[in-house]
Amino acid sequence: MTPIVELRRASKAFRGVPAFEDVDFTLSRGEVHALLGENGAGKSTLTKVIAGVHTLTSGHLMINGEEMVLNTPSEALSKGIAMVYQENSLVPSMTVAQNIYLGNEKAFNRLRGIYIAAQQFLQSLNFHVDPSALVGTLGAAQKQMVEIARAVHHRAQVIIFDEPTATLTPEEKSYFFKLITTLKKQGVSVIFISHALEEALQIADRITILRDGRLVASDRTENFDREKIVRAMVGRELTGEIYGRTRVRAARARGAKVLSVENLSMGNMVRNTSFSIFAGQVTGIFGLVGSGRTETLKVVAGVMKRDFFFGGAVKFEGRPVRFRVPAPAVQKGIVYVTEERKAEGFFETMGIAENIYMGELSKERGGGLKIISMAEAVDLAEDWRKRLNIRAIDPNAKVIELSGGNQQKVVIAKALVQQPKLVIFDEPTRGVDVGAIAEIHHFINYLADQGIAVVVISSYLPEVLSISDRILVARQGRIVEEMEPTQATEERIMYAAVH
Amino acid sequence: MGFADFVSDATARLLGGIGRSSITVPVMDGPLKPNDILEEASEILQETGIDNLVASVDGFLFTSGNRLLRLQEGQRPEPVMEFEAEIMSLAAAPDGGLAIGLDGGGVLLRAPDGTQHRLIEAAAANCPTAMAFSDARTLIVCNGSRNTGSQDWQRDLLELGRSGSLLRINVADGRCETIARKLAYPSGVSMMPDGSVIVSEAWRHRLLRLRPGRADPEPVLSDLPAYPGRINRGSGGGYWLCAFAVRSQLQEFILREHSYRKLMMAEVHADYWIAPALRSGLSFKEPLQAGGVIRLGIHKPWAPTRSYGLVMLLDSTFAPVASAHSRAGGRHHGATSVLESDSGDILIAAKGAGKLLRIEAATLSTVADRTKLGSAI
Repeated sequence: MTPIVELRRASKAFRGVPAFEDVDFTLSRGEVHALLGENGAGKSTLTKVIAGVHTLTSGHLMINGEEMVLNTPSEALSKGIAMVYQENSLVPSMTVAQNIYLGNEKAFNRLRGIYIAAQQFLQSLNFHVDPSALVGTLGAAQKQMVEIARAVHHRAQVIIFDEPTATLTPEEKSYFFKLITTLKKQGVSVIFISHALEEALQIADRITILRDGRLVASDRTENFDREKIVRAMVGRELTGEIYGRTRVRAARARGAKVLSVENLSMGNMVRNTSFSIFAGQVTGIFGLVGSGRTETLKVVAGVMKRDFFFGGAVKFEGRPVRFRVPAPAVQKGIVYVTEERKAEGFFETMGIAENIYMGELSKERGGGLKIISMAEAVDLAEDWRKRLNIRAIDPNAKVIELSGGNQQKVVIAKALVQQPKLVIFDEPTRGVDVGAIAEIHHFINYLADQGIAVVVISSYLPEVLSISDRILVARQGRIVEEMEPTQATEERIMYAAVH
Repeated sequence: MGFADFVSDATARLLGGIGRSSITVPVMDGPLKPNDILEEASEILQETGIDNLVASVDGFLFTSGNRLLRLQEGQRPEPVMEFEAEIMSLAAAPDGGLAIGLDGGGVLLRAPDGTQHRLIEAAAANCPTAMAFSDARTLIVCNGSRNTGSQDWQRDLLELGRSGSLLRINVADGRCETIARKLAYPSGVSMMPDGSVIVSEAWRHRLLRLRPGRADPEPVLSDLPAYPGRINRGSGGGYWLCAFAVRSQLQEFILREHSYRKLMMAEVHADYWIAPALRSGLSFKEPLQAGGVIRLGIHKPWAPTRSYGLVMLLDSTFAPVASAHSRAGGRHHGATSVLESDSGDILIAAKGAGKLLRIEAATLSTVADRTKLGSAI
């Protein structure tokens, strides 16, 4: 049977630097095809070629056996190819329903009719999102749901999902997998990019692995296991490096109490929550989306403001603090490494050195004049590039051109250059490949070993279990459980998070 | 409340509840994470009003009301002496002497030869909440409040009592010197190896250190989620600290609502005040306690806890290391005195429950070891 999508000896280069080379790829009708690889391996570029975002430098793209060049995403959509992007492409000032129908509008649209239709459509997908809500007010997971719904709504024959489950809760993930199964039964083909290898093993019919822009393995899923995939992705054994620390050594000693949050409240998201953070330890905070963990730590770091009346207290090193903006928090020694790196983490049009130097500049309180030295910025960037192993094709490249893992390392470097006493990592390995995960975890452990108080917010239980010296569980806006890693299991944590 | 306090309080409220007006309570987590160790401690004696565990040359002594008793292994407690007033505190001197603090009756000294005399009068120490000998000739006494006696500690809290003091008494000549004033109900005292005095200041939820030759006390442990009471040195260089009750947001709220508090004290019987207690659940008229849900097999109270059982192990720098709890809904509440036996077992007088409890040394060691902070054990 003719494959619905086929790439033959396909190559794509940016300014002469290859993103992928000589890749042969086929997608059959009704097939779920997982595309795996480290960040920077070329997965996103390859799928963007299929979705009409980029064109091939050399090689052939065949749709239903017919060679063609797709110059725009709308051209690809007209051929039945839709892509759900990792960083969503919704219009934040429009409602959920309007976003779903965007590009499919009739000459005369009745908003009420759109809302009713969107409501029914979202319900059929089991996505609990209000169709009249503005997309800008939604959380990351709900935005992802709308993005998926939009692709499904376009009745595409090929849907490309780039890291679709990164922001979804376990329950939402199971709905999503059911949705993929339904789509498959309807003859829709799915390309599925994920860093969660178990998901690929669970859902895919076929797995293709890219490494450094080249295809290293492509086979039926039953011929793979986790170790084999990891070996193919990174070219070395990583089993002991990722999620294995708890089996190697016990929790670190607890240092002095650095942060004490008392009865903190912020709207409906943070409800009278209390907890402490100690120096020299990694405190993992687990919670489902909407549990208020990110908002709580954002209040601590001055990104958000607590309730004006009776919003509780935050004590840093024994003294009450109340940051209305992040700058004074940074100067006191609290930094927050955001989960939304593209929106909040870096200046995408600036280079690595400029971004890291921004962190250095924000360390000092304004008032006096600061002479900006690009030589200092370059030296600083070089130092952090070596410490965090930031890999860039071009040292002057804009951060937006880096892979997800390297972008995350730049965000981390930008935060750590501020010499913090408390570092809050929010989903530090979301959208990051397995090789970079190990490096980031190693660095987080190094920070805790240096006596810094580290908080890691994560939705991924194996990560929380492996990296934490102490685990806090958030639910409905408050910390509801504290566990030691020796007592914690995935089931126990999840039980606390949902009950 | 003075005008300045009024302005400060009003400003704090208007600015969104900052400082004391934020009405927050430190969380019990980390080394103070609730457990059931105190609740599951073995009961070795039932004695109403048990308090003041002391190891003397005559053996283990404790008090019950106005009686001084000796604890004997495998036998009923033997009465040693009886006094005219309730015994509030007890301290054993290294030479075998015994200081006895009486409610509203000053401090008596029982010499090693059995003779007894009044060391200081009631006027100087009407509320001797705790005592410790710094050496055979010097006794340090916590006078909890100038105005109230032992039964009225809740009133002192609700009146924001700051009239406590710390006295140094020369045992030989009875000379009394006040070494710290305006303390908020000092309720525990212990000596450090360098001669510093450690005192628990209950209503300010902290431990203070008074260095020899220095007038200003310095806080060594602040912001406790409970009201600290008696403190004893442990065998490993750390300290055992009893907290006779825990703080709650409701209580903190009541403490800043002056008119309400005055009205409550005037119109409601003291047993039913919104105030911490050594025991609760005696009457349905009491403020609600122990309403809650069971989560992960543990009772999670949502109503403020009126009474609680809490003993903490501190390391030599006074950082909490481990703790034993009897939680809301438990029985072993109101722990007022703790003593480490020669075998390393921990004896605890739960005055609220009227029980003498024993925790095996290994139990708390395990908790501390599990958090890799066993330095004090």
